[in-house]
Amino acid sequence: MSFSVTEPSNGTKWFAGILVIGYALITIAPLLWIIATGFKSGPDSIAYPPKVVFEPTLEGYVNLFTDRTRATQDMLDAAGEPQTWYDQIARDQGTVITGPSRYGERFMNSVIIGFGSTALCMLLGTAAAYAFSRFRVPLKDDLLFFILSTRMMPPIAVAIPIFLMFRQLGLSDTHLGMILLYTAVNLSLSVWLLKGFIDEIPVEYEEAALIDGYTRFQAFYKVVLPQAATGIASTAIFCLIFAWNEYAFAVLLTSGTAQTAPPFIPTIIGTSGKDWPAVAAGATIFLVPVMVFTILLRKHLLRGITFGAVRK
Amino acid sequence: MSNFISGLLRFRRGPWEMLASILIALGVVMLMQPFAITLYSWSFLITLIGTVIFIIVSHFPE
Amino acid sequence: MTDTPIHKVAQATPESMARRIRGLSDRTIAWIFVAPTIFLLLAVNIFPLIWTIRLSFTDYRVNRPNREVEWVGLQNYERILSDPDIWATMQATAHFLIWTIVLQVLIGFALAFLINKKFRGNDLWTTIIVFPMMLSPAVVGNFWTFLYQPQIGLFNYVVAFVTGADPASFSMIGDVHLAPWAIIIADTWMWTPFVMLICLAGLRSIPDSIYEAAECDRASKWRQFWTITVPMVLPFLMLAVLFRGIENFKMFDLVVQLTGGGPGNTTTLTSIDLKREAFEKWRTGYSSAYAVILFVTVFGLASIYVKALNKVKER
Repeated sequence: MSFSVTEPSNGTKWFAGILVIGYALITIAPLLWIIATGFKSGPDSIAYPPKVVFEPTLEGYVNLFTDRTRATQDMLDAAGEPQTWYDQIARDQGTVITGPSRYGERFMNSVIIGFGSTALCMLLGTAAAYAFSRFRVPLKDDLLFFILSTRMMPPIAVAIPIFLMFRQLGLSDTHLGMILLYTAVNLSLSVWLLKGFIDEIPVEYEEAALIDGYTRFQAFYKVVLPQAATGIASTAIFCLIFAWNEYAFAVLLTSGTAQTAPPFIPTIIGTSGKDWPAVAAGATIFLVPVMVFTILLRKHLLRGITFGAVRK
Repeated sequence: MSNFISGLLRFRRGPWEMLASILIALGVVMLMQPFAITLYSWSFLITLIGTVIFIIVSHFPE
Repeated sequence: MTDTPIHKVAQATPESMARRIRGLSDRTIAWIFVAPTIFLLLAVNIFPLIWTIRLSFTDYRVNRPNREVEWVGLQNYERILSDPDIWATMQATAHFLIWTIVLQVLIGFALAFLINKKFRGNDLWTTIIVFPMMLSPAVVGNFWTFLYQPQIGLFNYVVAFVTGADPASFSMIGDVHLAPWAIIIADTWMWTPFVMLICLAGLRSIPDSIYEAAECDRASKWRQFWTITVPMVLPFLMLAVLFRGIENFKMFDLVVQLTGGGPGNTTTLTSIDLKREAFEKWRTGYSSAYAVILFVTVFGLASIYVKALNKVKER
């Protein structure tokens, strides 16, 4: 190791490391608690003192995906022997399964709306970002500021007219409506981020391609897009995460067919009061993909949260 | 300070943007302060003026 | 090169079409590329905004579509800006805003400073610390109500364990005095990493040579911290504070799931109050005026934010 005046001493490093790791453990505790609660039985989840060591069960997950009813002895006799493992788990709680719950549907809505809006947003965003980066667009700065400011608007305030507009157009509670809305909200992020990424690609590459007889479109497809691939991918993940997490618009503008998971998860209740293992199971399935994406994104996080201004 | 004023007089962007920012900040503070309801009542107007000035002066030369 | 899909598409394009595309000037291409974005934003943002401004001068109510809509001028604004209840929600928002920013800046900067000491494995721990920020605030907020349960909640248990109080003796979200702090704690947990990441970028933008020069001048570490580190990170910190300020001014999802605005109105932040007016009481005209006030405030703050953004960009 080379010695320099700016290199912290080993003691400092140890001290810093211990403090940071301590904070990281505190910050991750609630998340681990969510995951753990998903595998607890009902009584274990509300035990005092809170149980760190417990017997794992899939009860929460079974309850999450099924509707059940409290069974009387007659019903149990009539239903006969449990047919499947999840049937067995429901029976052990003194309930019988009456059908699948809405969670699967809501989760799929999140997937459809998330991926749909991300795809549309990337299509529009890449084109606009390329134009802003390479061409002299009239009122460029004003347009860029206008695009960014749309992101800053309070969702509840925007939701009032959107609600009226969607009702007129028959878009309320539809996938298409939510996809368009999330696309519009995410466009600001994708245009700003992608403009930064495209700015970094030397113009000379395209100029060479243009001299070789490529058209502008071809130069865009064959030279710029491959060069910007990493940037496009990380921008797409940011857009996906936003659409995935969004709650305010979803709760105000959807109620049934197009409702996404975030407004649905808090409404999960069991046969008697709040079923925390089921809520935790729903949250776990919903949150873990985002954690995986965060790990993939870690090099670009800073750009994403500052609209591409800070590049490190 | 005299630089600031001469900047304002010559319609330079920097000092005008500073003035607009101060007005906006003042408006926001007035909106949320817990001391006098009169200040709260006038906060929106101050913020609005600041914002409008900001939009206009962002087109002034540097 | 000739068998790439794009090339095939190019070849499959009819000759006249291809010639027309080739003939497009850069100006036309720029227009074609930008237009869809602008159009969508106009349709989904600007048109509704103009509609809101129009409605804000009326007494329209969505739930009574057949009633005659009356033009009431500035009356909605006058009522909102003299309403002590709305003033109170602004103060609740201010309390939330100030404390979250103070805590997040202090903890975030400290963490960034420590991570910048480059101990082994700092990348891994940074990623772990960042997790909360990326998750759905509504889902996480909902789960925090479980952590805050008296007796059985993990938070209460830990606090009781440390302080020796009875874990059933206090309810973070049921108590008028504790609820504002419950939302501050959850928000700080969630967003400190944001401030940390930006501070880290600021710290890493400082060239080593400046410290080396200071070292040659025999400046103490303490002095170096205040004369080099802090001023150099300040623009970045400004950016983080403004952004968190704007975000928390319009805070909705996390808090509505955590406390729903209660107990009483102690955690009724502005957005939650607006949601009640607009979507529970259905006073559309009135809440449109309310929305315009929030719009203008956020728009003003956003212009300052963009100025700060450009300042950091120049670095």
